[in-house]
Amino acid sequence: MNEMVDMMVEFGGMGLANPVFTASGTCGYADELAEFMDVNALGGFVTKSVTLKPRKGNLRPRIVETNAGMLNAIGLANVGLEKFIEEKLPVLRGRSAAVFVNVAGERIEEYVAVVERLANEEPIAGFELNISCPNVKRGGITFGTDAGQVKEITSAVKKASGGKCLMVKLTPNVTDISVTAKAAVEGGADALSLVNTFTAMVIDIESRKCVLANRTGGLSGPAIRPIAVYMVNKVYTEVAKDAGVPILGGGGIRTASDAIEFMIAGASAVSVGTASFIEPGCAVKIIEGIKKYCERHDISKVSELVGTLK
Amino acid sequence: MTEQAAKTKGKFSASVSFNRQIKPRYWRLGLEFSGEGAVAFGGTRPGQFAELDLSGAAVPAEKAIPEDLRDAAKREVLLRRPFSFAKVESKKGKTHVDILYCVLGPATLRMTTLGHGDVVSVIGPLGNGYKAAEGEKRAILVAGGMGAPPMQHMAQELTAEYPTMDVIAFGGAKSVDDLPFETRPDQILKELGFYLREFAEYGIQSMVATDDGSAGFAGTVTDCLADWLGRNEVNANETVIYACGPEQMLAAVAEIAKERHIDCQVSMERLMACGIGVCQSCVVECKCDGDTEYKLCCKDGPVFDAKEVVF
Repeated sequence: MNEMVDMMVEFGGMGLANPVFTASGTCGYADELAEFMDVNALGGFVTKSVTLKPRKGNLRPRIVETNAGMLNAIGLANVGLEKFIEEKLPVLRGRSAAVFVNVAGERIEEYVAVVERLANEEPIAGFELNISCPNVKRGGITFGTDAGQVKEITSAVKKASGGKCLMVKLTPNVTDISVTAKAAVEGGADALSLVNTFTAMVIDIESRKCVLANRTGGLSGPAIRPIAVYMVNKVYTEVAKDAGVPILGGGGIRTASDAIEFMIAGASAVSVGTASFIEPGCAVKIIEGIKKYCERHDISKVSELVGTLK
Repeated sequence: MTEQAAKTKGKFSASVSFNRQIKPRYWRLGLEFSGEGAVAFGGTRPGQFAELDLSGAAVPAEKAIPEDLRDAAKREVLLRRPFSFAKVESKKGKTHVDILYCVLGPATLRMTTLGHGDVVSVIGPLGNGYKAAEGEKRAILVAGGMGAPPMQHMAQELTAEYPTMDVIAFGGAKSVDDLPFETRPDQILKELGFYLREFAEYGIQSMVATDDGSAGFAGTVTDCLADWLGRNEVNANETVIYACGPEQMLAAVAEIAKERHIDCQVSMERLMACGIGVCQSCVVECKCDGDTEYKLCCKDGPVFDAKEVVF
């Protein structure tokens, strides 16, 4: 038997060609990647964060490598909404991958203003609400750790999103991620994205100073994968499954096996992040690997894998 | 049938042709590219770089690991590492690239175990190299410590493309053992600091400076440059300075160039996660309309006009 595997997945009210996304901040606005990856082969593409005004970002050093991972503290450096529309959006037009714009800000009104302005832009399938960036002084994670604020910002942005898919990206830096996941769903989230990076610190023992200029950064990469898998499974079983809200799961995915683990745990789609820095085309390879796994296990639709943890 | 344009950059496999230790901490690695990789790397400009995946290379035997790197040796390597080139040669459909590297962490420690025939995944060539000379009659190359490779590459290019140009090179380091050149210390001393084989092979005169005076000029490479400029007539309009090295040294070179109204291009170094302009980690602060802005070392550089950089 050699039937074709149906790689389509339902996600937040839309059909995606396959379940593989690239994560925000790891593939820019797709314009840098032409030589390395066929963006059209992806199921979804999440842009680098966009804020209302341009941001220079943090002082350097902004990254440091650790065992099986890295810390980053970029500080939401981005060109700002107007330049994004002018220069980056045209490049995203005509993509077959569903384009999600990652939106960040310091105040709820800023998130709303960005989403409102982009709500009618044709190449955008939806938004990823970044309320979980650990590397900025105001906004970001301060919204994402408080259930009341998560609900408030989600519902405010939902009203502005013009019916486009609203995905809320959750921080793992909380006692119980199901609490904030539930708040996002109550606020009207169409999908949940988890996890963002773990707040972490690396110290230079010679100078006794933090390596990163921001002192702390967000840990990503293979080191966080088992924790992320656990959190996806927790949110799936405690919140998302009953609410019928899909999860974009990620954290340290490098291979198809890693991605499949997240789907079994309950993710409808998976996002590849740090691994793209090392192998810029690896997300596309992962799609092929998932397909092969399905063939090997006689799975005719990839979506049948979701939440099948025994 | 449409013919596809040749790739100017991408991810390629390279085969190791040699990997030899040239100084206690310095090694020279030869990589050979064929097919599309040979074409892409054949067009490399001095100052451009490549990202090497060294995560799969073996850790050296414990006794071969310097004492101060024993802990670093235990660390895993996740990210690729950026390297510039000391020499690039294309012949018979292959491109040979020389990389000069300093052993200072888990990745470069692993790099020393690569042997003839090993295959390495390479992304490149990346970034913008030094701009080609525009009618200048004299070029001054300034290499501080690990800034040596692109200056050797520049020497190769200038000799091939501008044979009538008057070129002089300055190579500096803390001490004679830290000079990333294959020339033996006794040769440097014998020739009174005027001889580095890596430049002499192109007929280029060179001067050596060591902070501790163990070879050549006693002082920094920038002191040596300033000293030479003070003793030689240089027409600023017809001269260009190409520099690579630690940031403090580049700042000093930029200052010397500014005082004398000489054009100067500097190659910057930054920690990078991707090398292709997506991770936003390798920022270089540059002047911009009375304010400053961050440019990316990997994409906008690594070579910048010295006047542009905020040191």
